[in-house]
Amino acid sequence: MSFRKIRVASFRNLQDAEIPTDSEQVFLIGENGQGKTNFLEALYYLCYGASFRGQMDSLIPAQGSDRFMLQASWSNGVAGAPLDDEIAVSMKGRVKDITLNGKSLRDRKELVAHNPAVVFCHEDFSFAAGDPERRRFFFDQCAGMLSLGYIDTLRNYKHVLKQRNAALKESAYDLIDVLDPQFVRYGIMLMEERKQLLHKFKAVFAESYEHVAMLGVPVTIEYAPSWPEQVSLDSLFDYLRRRRSEEVVLGTTRSGPHRDKWLFRCNGENFTDKASTGQLRLISLVLRIIEVRLYEERERISGEGPRWPVLLLDDVLLELDLGRRRRLLELLPAKGQGAQSFFTFLPEEPWQDYVDRSTLVYKVNDGRFED
Amino acid sequence: MKALEDLVALLTRLPGVGRKSALRMAYYLLKADPRYAESLAGHIAVLQQQIKFCSICGSYTETDPCDVCGNPQRNRNLVCVVEQPQDVITIEASKEFQGLYHVLGGLLSPLDGIGPDRLRIVSLLQRIRQSRLTGAVIEEVVIATNPTVEGDTTALYLKKVLEPEGIRVTRLATGIPVGGDLEYADRLTLARSFRGRQPL
Repeated sequence: MSFRKIRVASFRNLQDAEIPTDSEQVFLIGENGQGKTNFLEALYYLCYGASFRGQMDSLIPAQGSDRFMLQASWSNGVAGAPLDDEIAVSMKGRVKDITLNGKSLRDRKELVAHNPAVVFCHEDFSFAAGDPERRRFFFDQCAGMLSLGYIDTLRNYKHVLKQRNAALKESAYDLIDVLDPQFVRYGIMLMEERKQLLHKFKAVFAESYEHVAMLGVPVTIEYAPSWPEQVSLDSLFDYLRRRRSEEVVLGTTRSGPHRDKWLFRCNGENFTDKASTGQLRLISLVLRIIEVRLYEERERISGEGPRWPVLLLDDVLLELDLGRRRRLLELLPAKGQGAQSFFTFLPEEPWQDYVDRSTLVYKVNDGRFED
Repeated sequence: MKALEDLVALLTRLPGVGRKSALRMAYYLLKADPRYAESLAGHIAVLQQQIKFCSICGSYTETDPCDVCGNPQRNRNLVCVVEQPQDVITIEASKEFQGLYHVLGGLLSPLDGIGPDRLRIVSLLQRIRQSRLTGAVIEEVVIATNPTVEGDTTALYLKKVLEPEGIRVTRLATGIPVGGDLEYADRLTLARSFRGRQPL
């Protein structure tokens, strides 16, 4: 799957233009604040109908405008497909319109299923160094990309949790009694899916991390659920009942998958307590690479493959030494497999070392793209 | 044109009607046969006076009790519990259910401050107990709330309060529509159906 060309209008600081992108590897070179990340954001927007920056959409239109428009021609990677898909996202005021081949999409989830992207950005650092919520965010996002059902279960779990917290605040014991069966049902479903995800990550994480970091000792992932594992439903209800009085005092639910932890261990100790910034950065990068590979594996098993998500790599090599950079790039999908990657670089980085004949290189300056 | 603007403002309060649709309706009424406009206005004016809630089941009716509650042919051992009065009309249109109804008037939602006392649960219990004094005892309650968190919470709560009464409590099935084509099921329905799969 790949973008052949992008048209942007009134999108942040990007100058209105049509930019050819028909290559497996596209490099964007420029100083900070010139528009490289804005361009990645535009690509992400075309994949998900939303930004990865978590800001309000109303901040996106260029200064002096109340609207923006993005268009792309998209090759779905299926050999012999007769035509490229045309995707357009526009926003005027607060009204967003997403069309696929000229037809409006009712729900942006339809777009997610069509052409996913995986973004590697600076904020990913928190998957390794941040609080447990940020780690859960990554693994939930990953599980959601692999299974629509996971998103549904997570949404239901969070909704029951809110209702349960409201009932705790009101000391409505009779309602907590009837919320708990749902709370436990969705919670156990999440735990099971997270265990399966752990299994998939465990199979490749330690080896992949060692390939790049060359620590000499394996760094492993562990999943530490908040609820006791391998207990019967009845004993889980007992567990919740025993904690209820404490929860009523605090007005909040103190256990469940919303408090699960993902840990990185090395030599039996918590790795993130001792790891250097570069080592932590590498964890987040390897996690993203595994996410990409798991997506491809899912597509291959479904008979759709090989199909890769579009890779958007924002300044990710910056904090790595040259050896680690080279070894990290070896983990990315190899050239010729049909995976499209967009990299951003500062001008002083050795980006020329990674260029080959097919690489499209753009210099980005004040929102303008020059060959 | 204040009259037109006032009408448009009133019409835009209707569900699913934006300003553009309201304007189109208002211009249509302006050009329409005056008898149509008068008839429409008259029907709207008397709607709330003529249509009331049934004092037994809580559904909309022009007569009290409603046609369903007053019909001796209906199966009085079976009561279907629904969230809103309009759900009765939907189920009645299927002609598949021959029992009685009970409208709750909402769903349990602690987040919105809706507890059991805000729903018609006490009146359901009273109906069940009174039915034992007659020859037509309510034996089964079918819960037809939507398969949402609030719908499921309400169903579980009803099960909890009804089972001590010796009532059989059942719930409408969910998943792939019977006789439906897998091809037309959306991805989420399919995903839920796989998760809720049953042994044969």
